[in-house]
Amino acid sequence: MATSTKILALAVLAVLPLLMNASTCIGPQVTSNVYTTSEASMSISTVFVVEVAVKCNNGEKDLLLFADVNGHMVPATQSGTGKFQVSWSDEHKKLPAGTYGVRFFDEEGYNAVRKEKRSGTDGSAVTPIFTVNVKHSGTWTGPYVQTEFVATCVALLVWYMAYRSKSFLMS
Amino acid sequence: MKSLFLLVVAFVAVRSDNDDNAARLLASKSILNQFIVEGKELTVEYSIYNVGSSQAYNVELSDSSFPEEDFQRVSGSLNVKWDRLAVGANVSHAVILKPLRPGYANFTAAQVKYYPTEESQAQQVGYTTAPGEAGIVGLKDYERRFSPHIVDWATFAIMTLPSIGFPFLLWYRSKSKYDVKHKKN
Repeated sequence: MATSTKILALAVLAVLPLLMNASTCIGPQVTSNVYTTSEASMSISTVFVVEVAVKCNNGEKDLLLFADVNGHMVPATQSGTGKFQVSWSDEHKKLPAGTYGVRFFDEEGYNAVRKEKRSGTDGSAVTPIFTVNVKHSGTWTGPYVQTEFVATCVALLVWYMAYRSKSFLMS
Repeated sequence: MKSLFLLVVAFVAVRSDNDDNAARLLASKSILNQFIVEGKELTVEYSIYNVGSSQAYNVELSDSSFPEEDFQRVSGSLNVKWDRLAVGANVSHAVILKPLRPGYANFTAAQVKYYPTEESQAQQVGYTTAPGEAGIVGLKDYERRFSPHIVDWATFAIMTLPSIGFPFLLWYRSKSKYDVKHKKN
């Protein structure tokens, strides 16, 4: 009798996540496409765009995703079934070159992070459904030295060498 | 900057009959480029703010002012939606496009549709701000002004070599002859 109740309890526990209203994704397969601003003259602030296509093993269609962007939780934009987009922007100086990790949560994870944040911690202990790494190679703000400047310097150098040898000859 | 544009944003959302406890969305669309150049990225940013007193449901943003033959999509989607937008919250969305033709382009408003309350049957339709008309510079003109012109400078250096090199050769030859004579003495 004890084993059968145990089996029953285990069965209920296994079925419980499916009975819950909140949509969860089990075993997500993620394809991501990332864009970051490359030239400063094309945008006054650096923009990051992360597009993800998520396929869940449990066939979940009404998935709601939230993303942790630089410590700030935003809802992921839905651009089609299973397709999400997260975009954020800031000044060029505040988003230097490097790798940024964007954590994606479902509703449960989102509520857990909110709870953690309210109790003082930064919510980094909650495990996300998946993480996308954004590699930013920096926003190009122009060459260090203008080519015209280099050409002027070379011309002046040539002139100086000629002038020096000429005055040496004359002396 | 954000508070400044909030003051400027136009209140074009249609008033609903249930104003006491309804969501109200303000949306802005802005072009983040300093220069819009043919063949280079055009960054469009949308921001939606909920200034009402209730959550907005099923918020849809659709922008049909970038025809496929004039703008190539690089990143981001022009038709997106959010499930809910909380009171006082804001979302931002960015789309990267590439203009395919130079000339003048009129950037018009995008459409925002949402349900102001959970029970409302009628969808509220509003519009974002419109950035207005702007010129798309041709790639050749942009490069003429801004590219480093390395090849042009290298060509110039090679072209000046004869007029500088020839007198230098003459001087060097006579100098070496003079030095040899000096040594002999």
